[in-house]
This record gives sequence, structure tokens and C-alpha cells, in this order.
Amino acid sequence: MEIAYFLGCIMPNRYPGIEKATRILFEALDIELKDMNGASCCPAPGVFGSFDEETWATIAARNLTLAEDMGADIMTECNGCFGSLFEANHMLKEDEDKRAKINENLSEIGREFKGTTNVKHLAQILRDDIGFEKISSLIEKPLDLNVAVHYGCHFLKPTDEIGIEEQAENPTILDELVELTGAKSIDYKDKMMCCGAGGGVRSRDLDVTASYTKEKLDNMSKAGVDAIIDVCPFCHMQFDQGQTEVNERYGTDFSIPVFHLAQLYGLAMGLSAEDLTLDAQKIDAAPALAKALGENAK
Amino acid sequence: MKIRGVFSMSIINRLKSLFKEEKDFEEKDVQEEISKDVNSESSDFDDTVVSGTKTSVPISDVLKKEKSSTATIELKFKKEVRSIEEESVEETLPIIEEDEPSNNEEIPKEAEEDLAEESLDVEENTSSDEEDVNTDDEVESTEKVDEDKKEKENKERDNMTLLTDKELLTDANRDPEFTAEFIDAGIETVKHCFQCGTCGGGCPSGRRTPYKVRQIVRKCLLGLKEDVITDDALWMCTTCYTCQERCPRSVKIVEIIKKARNVAAHAGYMAKPHKMTGVFVINTGHGVPINDAAKALRTKIGLSEVPATTHADAGALEEVQKLCKLTAFDELIGYDEATGGLKE
Repeated sequence: MEIAYFLGCIMPNRYPGIEKATRILFEALDIELKDMNGASCCPAPGVFGSFDEETWATIAARNLTLAEDMGADIMTECNGCFGSLFEANHMLKEDEDKRAKINENLSEIGREFKGTTNVKHLAQILRDDIGFEKISSLIEKPLDLNVAVHYGCHFLKPTDEIGIEEQAENPTILDELVELTGAKSIDYKDKMMCCGAGGGVRSRDLDVTASYTKEKLDNMSKAGVDAIIDVCPFCHMQFDQGQTEVNERYGTDFSIPVFHLAQLYGLAMGLSAEDLTLDAQKIDAAPALAKALGENAK
Repeated sequence: MKIRGVFSMSIINRLKSLFKEEKDFEEKDVQEEISKDVNSESSDFDDTVVSGTKTSVPISDVLKKEKSSTATIELKFKKEVRSIEEESVEETLPIIEEDEPSNNEEIPKEAEEDLAEESLDVEENTSSDEEDVNTDDEVESTEKVDEDKKEKENKERDNMTLLTDKELLTDANRDPEFTAEFIDAGIETVKHCFQCGTCGGGCPSGRRTPYKVRQIVRKCLLGLKEDVITDDALWMCTTCYTCQERCPRSVKIVEIIKKARNVAAHAGYMAKPHKMTGVFVINTGHGVPINDAAKALRTKIGLSEVPATTHADAGALEEVQKLCKLTAFDELIGYDEATGGLKE
């Protein structure tokens, strides 16, 4: 099995440990992640999608054609990239008029959208194409952690188009994937709420975004979690860097470390905090790691 | 909202039996009629029985006198409700006759205009209307009446209401071409909205910003272009899809918001930080480009110094730049090719 690996922006350019963990995980699963050479930003739905649909669809379609040329389905581990690429792929497959228009643009760079690839999310591939059993077999160090799972928005919604879960407001996919590592997913108030970063709000009005994030952090803290698990580098950045922004604005002292699902698997497979670039994140992960790996007991 | 839905349906059922029409009520018919019914009902309610802000005397009197007797209140209230239902039916009759022959008929202009004014009018009172109808729970009603009294007292200081004389909307505020943009973009579901408010009820942005998603959808349908595109609140949506997931009419709400933003952007309403993200993509292919710290991190953990994206492929970057020119995205954001920044 081969997969066209779409990197996006924030993961490779801010949290490369997520990319590293993913590459090691898929090597262990014996699945080849092929680079989509020359891929660009998905592009960001908050700006391109909100400013000009045609530009958004054209650049997204260019990325899609890279995977079409490779004859592979796309995997992304960013909800924003997933939302953008999935939606553009879906739209251009369904709407002939828009497809014609976009292909007119793409013909100028010698490309054509054919509609032969599928866009999948990392978590979806892990559950549907690989299966829980195979993933469990890779876990070397069961993690003693209570975690707050954050689904994010563009991973499951809109349900009627994406269909990964039938009921996006009460999903189980991530909780199940997280618990394969031995970590326990703790329920918390308004678990499905947005982190606050999307739709261009973070770049436009950081106070509003921070207010969302604070509400999430309050609810997570009350549930008594050791870490936050996400499947989106943008949410990841919002909970990591955004947590310091919340602390600055509200005088709080939140310090809940943030792991992308791929990093969580990396930990359970025995990778170090340095390999996962956890040591470069804003929120110190050391206390959670000590607990997770039972180093306190040693 | 639930109560209102039941109401509307019961009216429709009554109409059905009146006309002995057994044929299916197509989405559009139901939608149009419901919105009319809801509309006439809510205005009746406001003026006569329910709304505490205007003439709440009937309910509060009854409640004061017979605090312990829920049954009596219920009876009395039901009676009033019934009379309203009958009024509504009468009012609705001519509309039905008009609409029955053609399923595709648009909402008549003057009715639409009424909707414009009244839907804004209802804005502040929606939740209280709905809760007040609930006579099953005496305590709740009593609390509500108290709340309404307080609300009445605070009314003079209330600068949140949208209904002020200077803001009265007329046909002159409407731009049918604006509405047509949504339909042309394939978002026909904008017409299906019956203003129930489920969207706003679940909206995390509405809890902290002036973003009123239900009202924006209404304004888009009515063609209140200037209102929509000049309002900064339009940009307070994180596109989390909670509204769209919960919409009982399957309205593509997030698509509506994004389309409205497209129109706003093309009319020049764009925030500088957003334009800058566009600049980054034109310059590097990435909205969040690599930096030295990330290069060092990548190298340290054994990844290529830069990812195999446009960062590592000048030809690929040129393709992206060409596409941005082709769609005039560079002009839209005011990109200055000479400086690689913004013109302004």
C-alpha cells in the first residue's frame, strides 16, 4: 500500500516531530508514505476559502493532481488540510461547471483534475485501512495517562459529506485510537467545541480565539487531564502556543502538554521527547511524560 | 423552538384538512408557509399574549392569582393559543391560495419585506417567546415573567437591540443580486431557513462576539448586502460547523458565511493579517512558511532541512504563483510583486 503524504504548513514548518512520528509509525506498519513533491499550502480555508472560492479550489486542485499523478490516495494529519482538500475534491467531482472552470486554470500550468484520488485523514486510515489490532501490536510502552481528546472541527464535519462518523457530535474514533496506547480518554464538558483558531479568526482577532481556548482549557482542567490529544497541527499550535497566550491574557497558569495522535503513538513506540520535538513545544511535556512512562515509580 | 415547530405543523395539518389536500408538502411549500405562519404567530404573540416586554398582563395576572393551580393556567393559556391559531389560519388562507398552484413561486415581495422587518423585530424576543409558550412548568413561567419584568425595566438602557427607527429597513436596502449570488453558487438551501435559531443556540462564537449567524443567514436571503459585508462580525466564525450539523433544515450555513465573506472581500473588506497569509502563500507556497528554528529542529531529528514542498521546488512555487495571478488573487489582496509585500 502506498499513500501520497500531504504535509501542509504547520506540521513540517513548526512541529516536525509530528511528521517524524508519522513516518516511523508507517514504516512499522509497512506502508509507504510517498512525498508529494512540490505540494503547497492546502490552501488555508480561512483566507483563501473566505476570500475567493475559485483561487481556493484552483490551488487545492493543483495539490490533488499531484496525488493523481502518483496514483495514490492522499493522507493528511491536519484537519484544516483535510477539510480543504476533501471539500475541493468532493466539489470538483460533483460539480461539472466548477470542474471545467478550475481545469481551465490548471491547463495553464499543464495540469488537469481528473477526480481519481481520495482524501483521507490519518485517523481514518488507522481505523479503517489498518485496524486496531495491528496498531496495538506496535505498542511497546503502554502509557499511563489521562487525556482530553480534542477532535477539532474539519475532521468529521460536515458529516453528510465526510461520513467518517455518522454522528459527529458524539464520535468515538479518536477515543478508541488513543486508548490503544493505554492512555485513558477522559470525558469533559463541551468536548466537541472548536479550539478557536479556525476560519481566519486566530490571525484576525487573537482575543476571540484565546477566549475559546480558555473555555476549552477550563473544561479540560476540571476533568483533571495530564495531556491534550489532537489530530490537527493548527489545533495543536492553538493549544500549545495559544495556552501561553491564554495565560498572558487571563493571568491563568495552565500547563497541559499537547500531543498530536502521531506523537502519542511515537511515545508508545518508545520514541524520545526529542525525536517527537516535544522539548521544543511551549508547554513543558516532561511531567506528563514521566507519568506516562511510569518513570516516577522507578 | 420545539413548541413553535409543533404549532406550525398543527396549523399546517389544519389547513390540510380544510382543503382536503393529501398531496405531499414539498420542502419549499412547507418552508414558505411555516415562515409565514411563524411570522404571523410571533407577531401576534408579541402583541397580545406572550411577550413579557409588551403586554404580559394576562399571564402574569393569572400566575399571581393562581400560583398553585397549573391546570387552570394551562386551560386558560390553551384557550388563548387556540384563538391565535385560528387567527393565523385565517391570515394564511389567501397565501395558500396563491401558492398552491405553483411550487416554485418565490415569497411575494411585500411578504418578504414584512419578514425583513419582523424577523429583526423578533431577534431579541425569540427565546422568551418560545419559553413562554411552555405552560407545563409553572415555576419556569413565573421565573420567566420575573425576568421579563426586569428586561422591561432595563429596556431603556438596552443598546443591544437592533430595532431602532433609524435602522428601519426598506426595499431600498435590498439587493436581489446579492441573494442571487448564493443561489448561483449552489447554496439554494439559504431559502430553506425558517429562522428557528438552532444555529445561534449552538454557536461558540455567538457566545462571545457580536456574531449572529441566524441573522446573517436571514440578511443574505433578504439581500441586505451592505449590512452583511460591512459588519466585522462576519469574520468571527471559526467555521466549526456546529450550526450546520444541527440545522433542522440542512441549510449549508458555513457555505453561506464563506460566500458572504467572498463578496465582502471582493468589495474590499479584508483584514490585513488575512491578506498577509495570502502574501506568504504567493511568496513561499505556504501560509505558514518555514523558519530557522524549524529548519534546525528538522535537521536535528533527521528530516530534510526543508520539506519536499514548494519550499524545495522553485518550479512548483512558480505554478502556485501563476495560478494566483490567473485568478487575480494577487490583485484581490493588493499583492506587490516588486516588494513581495502588500501595496498599501
